[in-house]
Amino acid sequence: MKRSLADFAKIIRSKNAGPTLLTIDILFNTDEEFVLGLSSLTPNFVCQRYGCEIADLEIIPYQTALAIKIVLRRKIIAGSPGDRDVYGSQQHGPLLGILV
Amino acid sequence: MSALERLLKLREQNPGPLRILSASGQLGFGIPKKSFERGIKSKPHVIAADMGSVDPGPTYLATDKIAAPEVLVRSDMRLVLHGAQQLGVPLLIGSAGTAGADVHLDVVLKILKEIAVEDKLHFKLGIIRSVISHDLVEHSLVNQKLKPIGPIDLDENTLKQTEVIVGQAGMGPFERALKLGADVIIAGRACDTAPFAVIPKMLGFPTGVAVHMAKILECTSLCCEPGGRDAMLATFDGDSFTVESMNEAMHATPTSVAAHALYEQSDPYFIHEPDGRACLKHAKYEAIDERRVKISGATWQAADKPWIKIEGARKLGSRAVMLAGNADINFIKQSKNIINKVEEVVRELIPFSEWSLNIRHYGIDGVTEWPEPPVNLPREIFLLCECIAENSEKAKLVLATFRQQLLHFGFPGRSATGGNLAFPITPPELDAGEAFTFSIYHLLELDDWSALEQLFPVTIEKIGDQT
Repeated sequence: MKRSLADFAKIIRSKNAGPTLLTIDILFNTDEEFVLGLSSLTPNFVCQRYGCEIADLEIIPYQTALAIKIVLRRKIIAGSPGDRDVYGSQQHGPLLGILV
Repeated sequence: MSALERLLKLREQNPGPLRILSASGQLGFGIPKKSFERGIKSKPHVIAADMGSVDPGPTYLATDKIAAPEVLVRSDMRLVLHGAQQLGVPLLIGSAGTAGADVHLDVVLKILKEIAVEDKLHFKLGIIRSVISHDLVEHSLVNQKLKPIGPIDLDENTLKQTEVIVGQAGMGPFERALKLGADVIIAGRACDTAPFAVIPKMLGFPTGVAVHMAKILECTSLCCEPGGRDAMLATFDGDSFTVESMNEAMHATPTSVAAHALYEQSDPYFIHEPDGRACLKHAKYEAIDERRVKISGATWQAADKPWIKIEGARKLGSRAVMLAGNADINFIKQSKNIINKVEEVVRELIPFSEWSLNIRHYGIDGVTEWPEPPVNLPREIFLLCECIAENSEKAKLVLATFRQQLLHFGFPGRSATGGNLAFPITPPELDAGEAFTFSIYHLLELDDWSALEQLFPVTIEKIGDQT
């Protein structure tokens, strides 16, 4: 049965990594959940959730912390006109409801 | 005897573990006193703090604004100064005044000197300046020595418009200041890690491990469960270090500390410094007990040439905002289309063309760009309308015109002909100051190491009647 990522990931957070990049970290409790998360969060899938191109994103598994890091190029530089989130702290929403 | 000489002498007699106390990751936002005092009781050999960031946005860099409230900058500074003076240990603070240009650094120096006079403190102050000249950046741009970090374009024109440029000072300038006899060092823009890593590195602890320690320590207890802003202590012993929060309720665990390596980083495996990078691929995190973690294994890869991170911001114009809400499902269903049509009308009415309009539809996609519309439309939405124009009058004029056209716009299916908008305040147009953007967020390659000395000049001042 598929489960919502938000129900079992320990942490799902977003934050700027400098003003031009956004980084989303998903941390899991167990190795199994980490592997499950990694198989679900494919570049195509993440692009679809964020409306971006494959070239604009990078997915980095970090097993030491049972974590997956997603790095997105910002469409608008932090704090420039039209930016919605200067610190980038609320850009994890599109991942919360996904089923894996 | 300077703080460094005292430390060297002490370690000659007793070369045991080295303790570094991180007082704050954001000096000026309030240092929890009890935890800091507990840190002082553990007799650290170094006290360090970070004070700035690029996160609050370009306005701070382009103007003289400081994000932290001055009252708290003063009380935090007083706390760390007295702590360092009481123990006779070096105090190192990076990125003074948020953005760390000269104007911000000078505000912090003024506060520091006032405290020294009021409290009759005596010490040698080391000052590191971080402003980078436009000429150097232009020269580097022409000679292709600039590398953008992420999507940011710089050309000669946007460089000219850039108000101020700062570079992130690494460990080198701090080392120079210490060797010149500084007891207290205040730096303009600096790498977050530099004030924490420099002394362990100078004392011969492995550089990669020192930088890893600094990366964890620079956010104080944020790496704990629960995370917080309380002082954090690192104890260096040989090739490893142990971290411990000075708040007993905060637990550093192997997972919480490893997870912190990800925080605000685009790469969890490397920490980049001007003179090389720390590689965390073989980093080990071991629990000592339920509150302390022992960390080892980071390696250091020295760079062939120095690379410094530079930041610049430029003005775009003036900003005004207009606040309005709507609770009519007929409008909410079509709000994007309605807004686009009204903007077209406004384009024809305004007698000047240099303006831009950004509308955020809170309730639909005000916070983030969702890939699909909400399953159920909200019963209310809030519109935050932002206009950038040459000056505040023009920006407000555009918004007032837009507001009036939107208020009475006749869209298909409209039933509420009394007006399309609810204004929470009047006038609904507000002056929001000047608008800026980051124009530079680049890596600048230098030809040789001696260039660093000119880029980050160090000066020493005697504070109080020191003999």
